[in-house]
Amino acid sequence: MFLKLLPAALLFQVLQILLRFKDDPDLARKLQARDPHAMADLYDRYGRIAYSLIFRVVRNGAVAEDLVQETFLRVWNRVQSFDPSRGALGPWILTVARNQAIDYLRSVDGRMSSGALELDRLESPTLFSDFEDSAVSIDRARRLKTAFEKLNPQQRTVIELAYFEGLTQTEMADRMKQPLGTVKTWVRTALKVLRDDLAEAASA
Amino acid sequence: MTCEELRDMYELYALGLLEGEEKDEADAHLGRECPTCRKSLHAALAINTMLIANSPAAAPSSKLRRRILATVGIERSSWSWAAALAAVCMLAVALWLGRQERERGKELAAARDTLMHVQGDRDKMLEAFRFLNQPETKQVGFQKGPRGNVFVNSRAGVMMIAANLPKLSGGWIFEMWLIPKGGAPRPAGLFTAADSGDAFHILSGPVDIASLGAVAVTIEPEAGSRAPTSTPIIAVPVAF
Repeated sequence: MFLKLLPAALLFQVLQILLRFKDDPDLARKLQARDPHAMADLYDRYGRIAYSLIFRVVRNGAVAEDLVQETFLRVWNRVQSFDPSRGALGPWILTVARNQAIDYLRSVDGRMSSGALELDRLESPTLFSDFEDSAVSIDRARRLKTAFEKLNPQQRTVIELAYFEGLTQTEMADRMKQPLGTVKTWVRTALKVLRDDLAEAASA
Repeated sequence: MTCEELRDMYELYALGLLEGEEKDEADAHLGRECPTCRKSLHAALAINTMLIANSPAAAPSSKLRRRILATVGIERSSWSWAAALAAVCMLAVALWLGRQERERGKELAAARDTLMHVQGDRDKMLEAFRFLNQPETKQVGFQKGPRGNVFVNSRAGVMMIAANLPKLSGGWIFEMWLIPKGGAPRPAGLFTAADSGDAFHILSGPVDIASLGAVAVTIEPEAGSRAPTSTPIIAVPVAF
């Protein structure tokens, strides 16, 4: 049931988000100047990918649209703390979108929420300053896809559960009926494979 | 824990999923501006972004764009029967402006925005007619303070038409809630009202009528809330 990452047909989306638009800094400045038309540009640029991500998590069109709306309003309301010249607009918006979706999912499932303060902190625009341009790129995304395919089924499952269902390692252990230590090893090994593969690519 | 040991945990940390002692350690390192850990966190954010960006493509409805722009004041999400007339007028204005020189560019943009708003109003009206036209749509009225009707259709969703809504100052918005019997309110979308106090809001999608206990509206900060933060201005018990 787990979805494959990076199907070829979606490459255009990946290109869009990973290349980061050259005029994102200008767009951010206009948003900070409260130019409502900048919101239209922002939505045209990132609305579809934010919706795709949220829909993947909540699997309900109406709810996904509400959460996309909340995502963009949250960005609009917090953009004053964003650093237009050094910040990464796309990664920030996607992080806000994921947090909105996961928080909704957790509330519907009756799971304890991470808490508004915690979410606020993890999507703070200042976290997305000093993002190296080379950190998010097409080449690295391709490497990541290859590395993901190398993972064994358990490792893929825990990555899916963390990123798209927002399960903590304790919750994964419950869901998968496995000891917590085993789940932690799967998570750690999976992330290490992904990380090492990217590092290898950088040094090659 | 050393920075090296923590390095394996920053992806989960950035996702809000790290727990207990491991989270406390990461917080402590980042709290004292540990440069190694900050670097690890940035690397983790990049990996997270690339992983979550790769979701199967899905397309929102065209109405979503208008809804979002309405919340920042480009378009109003209210509606009126004069929409068609306004569309004709604004089209004429737009054509006239189109013949002007570049200095009129701003005025043309404003006219275009109004046209988009009018088009949005018309789409909403058509959606409402479709909703009302279905025989299984059920209706409940409300009259205290704001007055109007809630329409519920198990396949189409929930629609609210309200009048006499209070005027909101900047930074606030109306939020509708679906309250299951014996359950917590669930967000059902944000909306604004016309200056006259009229408003109209649809939550599209299947609704479990049997478990629905009430429909309510509260006034919330403009980004909306995940749970009501104020006393409802509309609370309509529904039992079908």
